[in-house]
Amino acid sequence: MIKIENLKKIYKNGSISVEALKGATIEVKPKEFVSIMGPSGSGKSTMMNILGCLDKPSEGKYELGGEKIEELSDGELAVIRNKKIGFVFQSFNLLPRISTLKNVELPMIYAGVPPKERHKRAIEALERVGLGDRIDHKSNELSGGQRQRVAIARSLVNNPDIILADEPTGNLDTKSGDEIMAIFQQLNNEGATIVMVTHEPEIAAHTKRIITFRDGEVVEDKLVENQIILGVSTVKE
Amino acid sequence: MNFLESVQVAMNAIWVNKMRSLLTMLGIIIGISSVITVVTLGQGSQSAIDKEFEQFGTGRAYIGTNWRETLTQKDYLTTSDIEALKNAFGDKFDAIIQSLEESGKIKSKNEIIKVSLVGGNENYDKIEKVNMINGRYLTNSDVKAKRSVAIIDNETSMDIFGRSNVLGENIMVDMGYTKTSFVIVGLYEEPKSNLGNMGGGEKTPKIFVPVSTLAKVRGMGEHIWGIDLSIKKGIDANSTIEKMIKLLERRHGNDGENKYRSYTAEGEMESVNKVTGVITAVVSAIAAISLVVGGIGVMNIMLVSVTERTREIGIRKAIGAKRKDILLQFLVESIIVSGIGGVIGTLLGIGISIIIANFIKIPPSVSISTIAIAWIFSAGVGVFFGIYPANKASKLDPIEALRYE
Repeated sequence: MIKIENLKKIYKNGSISVEALKGATIEVKPKEFVSIMGPSGSGKSTMMNILGCLDKPSEGKYELGGEKIEELSDGELAVIRNKKIGFVFQSFNLLPRISTLKNVELPMIYAGVPPKERHKRAIEALERVGLGDRIDHKSNELSGGQRQRVAIARSLVNNPDIILADEPTGNLDTKSGDEIMAIFQQLNNEGATIVMVTHEPEIAAHTKRIITFRDGEVVEDKLVENQIILGVSTVKE
Repeated sequence: MNFLESVQVAMNAIWVNKMRSLLTMLGIIIGISSVITVVTLGQGSQSAIDKEFEQFGTGRAYIGTNWRETLTQKDYLTTSDIEALKNAFGDKFDAIIQSLEESGKIKSKNEIIKVSLVGGNENYDKIEKVNMINGRYLTNSDVKAKRSVAIIDNETSMDIFGRSNVLGENIMVDMGYTKTSFVIVGLYEEPKSNLGNMGGGEKTPKIFVPVSTLAKVRGMGEHIWGIDLSIKKGIDANSTIEKMIKLLERRHGNDGENKYRSYTAEGEMESVNKVTGVITAVVSAIAAISLVVGGIGVMNIMLVSVTERTREIGIRKAIGAKRKDILLQFLVESIIVSGIGGVIGTLLGIGISIIIANFIKIPPSVSISTIAIAWIFSAGVGVFFGIYPANKASKLDPIEALRYE
């Protein structure tokens, strides 16, 4: 699914250049559930941005679902972000002032899905995250956990190859965080490939594999021995 | 994202910021309405002037001797000149007559009325249009027999007799050196003239009498003052008159000596049109400046809007919006703001010009082309002043934009 070889990212600011990634090599197979961990400044956010096709690597190769990402133009990257990647952010990043349904429909609008199908798929996605009864609410009328579930629904609607979650529980209390992790586990069981950045070991323990970054390099890559499995029942309200 | 969806998104954004959108539109509204008002009033006064000329006679022309040159006996125009012109250019004009007018006074019960006696013939109404409301116009036999008949207007009739059924009545006109009595055979409608009223001067009523009769009263020989003509429609007045003058010069043996002058209604009209055209253009340009100022207002607000919605732009880009999607979204928003402003401004402009037109008594002429131009212009303002902010929005880096608080 994801093949990254010797990936480097160098930020240049005038005469000072900072090497955020110093040649990372990662492979993620379909149906994996991976955590990327590391202290701040370790390069995990840079990695996430490149994985999400929001940023381009300075050197190295990145293949996502068969596409050589480093060769694509900005416009083609937008299409990849739209169709192959589902984003879940720490601060939810929903559009205020529009309904839950419209928020979930948004990626399909850019994908050119006709309105009727858009509507149907958005409702399906919201039902999958247990918010089928909240479609007309605006995001500021929802709790943090509910907002994050809307964001997950939004990330699902275009059937992406991979879901990228950047500290998805970072702004949530433990209970809501558990709900979100339960949803991710369920989606993973249903066949979704998920890559998640977190700095909390307890959250990472919910995933199946942990890749640790330090100073722009992969320092550890291991499978989780005792994965915390959350009951699906916590999802439904 | 297709265009319709962009419109929806834009309408939503405009609706959310109602007050701000309205204030932004205000600039466009003022700009468009002032342009519409100015152009409409310009066209209105233009058509008023055209109408005035039509009443006066658009084909009307005059040839006379040029008083600025030293004239000798041989230079004076004669009645036989008219016959020569008739023979040579008969197909070019509807009417030709020697120019003759005399002022006189008529005593009524209470006052003395100043009038102008105008020498005419059966075709003279082609030169000076009148609307007959009673009786008959001058005839060929009136002229041949030098009858003392007169055509007066209804107002003057009221002034003299206090009534308008005056056919067959006599009027005594005092010309200072002689008094002559005329029988009224026709009544015409006193012409309503805006331009005459604008001047504010007192109008001297015209009484049409056979030119031969008036010439006899004045004791005119074969020499005449000048020639009045009405050039046929579709014939170039200026070049025809030029040819006629050439003929007169040949007849009088004063080629190229500039002894004759002429004037045509067409020429007059052109010079008046030139003046009103310049005035309209200048005032329109001033009004257009306000439209540009309004456009800058739109750009200013769009720039604020882009900054304010940086995060939204970041989100949209992260989930797959292309540069052109973002560009279109903001461009459409700016076009809609300007477009709605344009519609309101157009209606306001039409309203204002109708009110002003009523006030200064010209016909308000709102043309479709004016409205279309104003619309296209306001949408154009939207595009022109929207493109920079929209482009700025589309170029935002999604990572930076998502980080923006």
